[in-house]
Amino acid sequence: MKPFDIVIVGGGGAGLYAAMEAMKTNPSLNIAVLSKVYPNRSHTSAAQGGANAALGNTAKDDTIEMHIFDTIKGSDYLADQDAVDVLCSEAPKIIRELENIGTPWSRLEDNTIAQRPFGGAGRPRCCYCADKTGHTILQTLYEQCLRKGVIFFNEYFALKLSVNGSRSRGLLAMNMKTGKVEAFPAKTVIFATGGYAKMYWNRSSNAAGNTGDGQAIAYRAGIPMKDMEFVQFHPTGLRKSGLLVTEGARGEGGFLINKDGERFMARYAKEKMELGPRDLVSRSIETEILEGRGFDSPAGKYIHLDLTHLGADLIKARLPQIREMSLNFEGVDPIEEPIPVRPTAHYSMGGIDTDNFGRTIMEGVYAAGECACVSVHGANRLGGNSLLDILVFGRIAGRTAAEEAGKFEPGTISEAELKDSVDDLRSRMQPSGHYERYGALREELGQTLALNVGIFREASLVKKGINDISELQDRFKKVRVFDSSDVFNTNLMQVLELQNMLDLAETVAAGALAREESRGSHTRIDFPVRDDEKWHKHTLATRINGKISAGEKPVTMGRYELQERTY
Amino acid sequence: MPETIDQYQEGKRDVTFRVFRFNPQVDSKPYFDDYTISAERGITVLRSLNYIKEHVDASLSFRAFCQAGICGSCGMRVNGISKLACTSQVWDELDKCREPGIIKVEPLRSLPMIKDLIVDMDPLVDKMKHYSNWIETTMPLAEIGKKEFLVSEKEFHRYDKATDCILCASCVSECSILRANKEYVSPAVLLKSYRMNVDSRDGIHDVRLSELVKDHGVWDCTHCYRCQESCVKSIPIMEAIHAIREDAIECRGPKDTSGAKHAEAFMEDIEKKGKLVEATLPIRTNGMVWTLRNLLPMAMKMIVKRRTPPPPPLVKSAKGIKVFRAMFREMTEHVKQDHLKSHKK
Repeated sequence: MKPFDIVIVGGGGAGLYAAMEAMKTNPSLNIAVLSKVYPNRSHTSAAQGGANAALGNTAKDDTIEMHIFDTIKGSDYLADQDAVDVLCSEAPKIIRELENIGTPWSRLEDNTIAQRPFGGAGRPRCCYCADKTGHTILQTLYEQCLRKGVIFFNEYFALKLSVNGSRSRGLLAMNMKTGKVEAFPAKTVIFATGGYAKMYWNRSSNAAGNTGDGQAIAYRAGIPMKDMEFVQFHPTGLRKSGLLVTEGARGEGGFLINKDGERFMARYAKEKMELGPRDLVSRSIETEILEGRGFDSPAGKYIHLDLTHLGADLIKARLPQIREMSLNFEGVDPIEEPIPVRPTAHYSMGGIDTDNFGRTIMEGVYAAGECACVSVHGANRLGGNSLLDILVFGRIAGRTAAEEAGKFEPGTISEAELKDSVDDLRSRMQPSGHYERYGALREELGQTLALNVGIFREASLVKKGINDISELQDRFKKVRVFDSSDVFNTNLMQVLELQNMLDLAETVAAGALAREESRGSHTRIDFPVRDDEKWHKHTLATRINGKISAGEKPVTMGRYELQERTY
Repeated sequence: MPETIDQYQEGKRDVTFRVFRFNPQVDSKPYFDDYTISAERGITVLRSLNYIKEHVDASLSFRAFCQAGICGSCGMRVNGISKLACTSQVWDELDKCREPGIIKVEPLRSLPMIKDLIVDMDPLVDKMKHYSNWIETTMPLAEIGKKEFLVSEKEFHRYDKATDCILCASCVSECSILRANKEYVSPAVLLKSYRMNVDSRDGIHDVRLSELVKDHGVWDCTHCYRCQESCVKSIPIMEAIHAIREDAIECRGPKDTSGAKHAEAFMEDIEKKGKLVEATLPIRTNGMVWTLRNLLPMAMKMIVKRRTPPPPPLVKSAKGIKVFRAMFREMTEHVKQDHLKSHKK
């Protein structure tokens, strides 16, 4: 195949924005977007609430500065302040740009983009399109990429980076339609593959495919992962499926109620109540449940998200998707009864370590979006900042790669390397003797993570988690792929996804054990307070000779000094 | 039915999934496999398929991603109707089975088969490109990102519902025209085209419209409403199709294409006689030359079989035509007024 200037892995918000921006930066470049699903299926579509930008439409006195402060405070001071500066300063521009190229938005009376309150934000600055903001943004970006003639390789599953010393030569990927492994020699590769929270499996709100493919590929290639222990639990997942009820439901005035009928958030965040930051609300719900004030059911313990007082009109107009989901997956109509919810693994703050331009330590390899850790979210991401992150840093990564592609020689991928990759896949399809089922391993991984590396963590628990993960990695070697077909072998794909989750799970657990403090989403029962002296720093996990190796990186400070985080 | 209630209380029912199988590498033609599992209340069709894949037959192939009804990956036909597997409840489907206890699962129609329940979506993407299903902004390049377009909530509501579309292709699969003509634009693409055409930020309304009125375009729809009935997001797709047609007549005149002429001839007959004058309908739609060239052989056959429609002078007005005409005029006046109010940009 002809060498590409840029190969973008992932067709969600970050990948598509990167593609658009790279084409704009240098129209003569040869750019490809690989995606394991049709791009319009990407998980960006599931973001319901909106994207933060200090447009000052709803609250005239909102400022970029306030957005910066809220984000840094929300991150429990672990975000790099220069990166947050970029995120928030670019926000109004990028939301207007999206608006200009056709994204539909709900509107205010003065015909400007509507904004609503969101957790952890001092002003209503979350720009929204009903409760389908991610969906409409993704559609717009896909439409614009089709308009500009971006070359898509849809339903290609990325396998590995081809590495030559300190730089990449390109990528190997499996064409799902044919089962063939194809080489994508490229000057630059941008990973934009989304998050890894699906490793919590049934206790995750994520799509089945959010298996951290990009991070796992980079990790195996020796690129460091940063702050992997920080996994955000969204306070309100549906009890049975873990699927998400947007924070918008609380933004619109929903109450959290325990079995004694109390609005218990009064105990934990007197002022902000239900609109406290996500980590705090999740811990509060979990505490209520652990202390016996939750409801019980065969499908697990839960509390109530009550929207009934909002009235049918408001629910139908502003939260139609929530209503549909409650009806479909819980059989509950939120107009008439409260929705049963409990926290669900939702977002990965950690990811591929990048600088503010999307660069990794490997020459020619970039990352953006949930797949990357710049870091703008630190120990806890604010609602409405994830869509913003993928847009802002997707665009920056696209621009940087386009500007820097010229510096690199076009890579070549040898026939031998291609053959190795094919042989590796083939060997999985013919293990002999005793075998394991990938479905069982996947569920066990989710369980051990939720129990031992979940909302509340403790040294002994996390150690057990690490042991379990290591056992699962051993058992994985015996997993058999039963489907022998080359055409659309989803059995093989799911096994490879499991491998990616297992590889990354060890970095999440290692970070959780190492970080002996409680900060943001990471809560250690044995170290209940934030320890700035020892732990005001990023953790790094790098794979060296097949073994995980721990490192660290200082936090970039700026105008804001460390403060206690209270709401 | 008391036995049903008992089963509900038990909380589990044996269900057989009869699934369409086809692997182009080994199968010369498709066949069905039966999988019987015990399904509890509240389980979706997708979760059942996942269970079968994990525990019974790993080679069973289908697409699934978000599992929450928003990504559109798992469109398939369940008991003959195109829908999302992830939002279809097994116990609801049990009430719709042709054979009791057997849920039939098949791939979407009108798209090329790949394997089992997986079909090729590329033809749909190609059509989105062909009909410019994107906004070409009227904001000058230098201004992009600097200011917002001011758009009323009212305008937003014009395309709000249409932007719910997740391209699951259920409508594509159900469309009766597509089954006969693969080149037909397809309901999803018409819906998207409508959504773009009523957006005041867009600058290529006329280009898009001129493509939509060509062959295989908006006039080919026969109003069967299958698309709208099967839409998983309850989008009024037919309203969008009608709106494109009205827009086409308004912008391009009633004599623009055979489609427009056909609609106009319908209107004329209904107003005059309260029914169709079928004998001259093809001539008024496609002209004399086309009609003679294409319909003469059929007309001869019809004469032989004595099935020719009566000549125009013999078509009598329908009973109560005067009252009907008054109603007709009132309606058309209403439509005109509505147009002036809402559709003028």
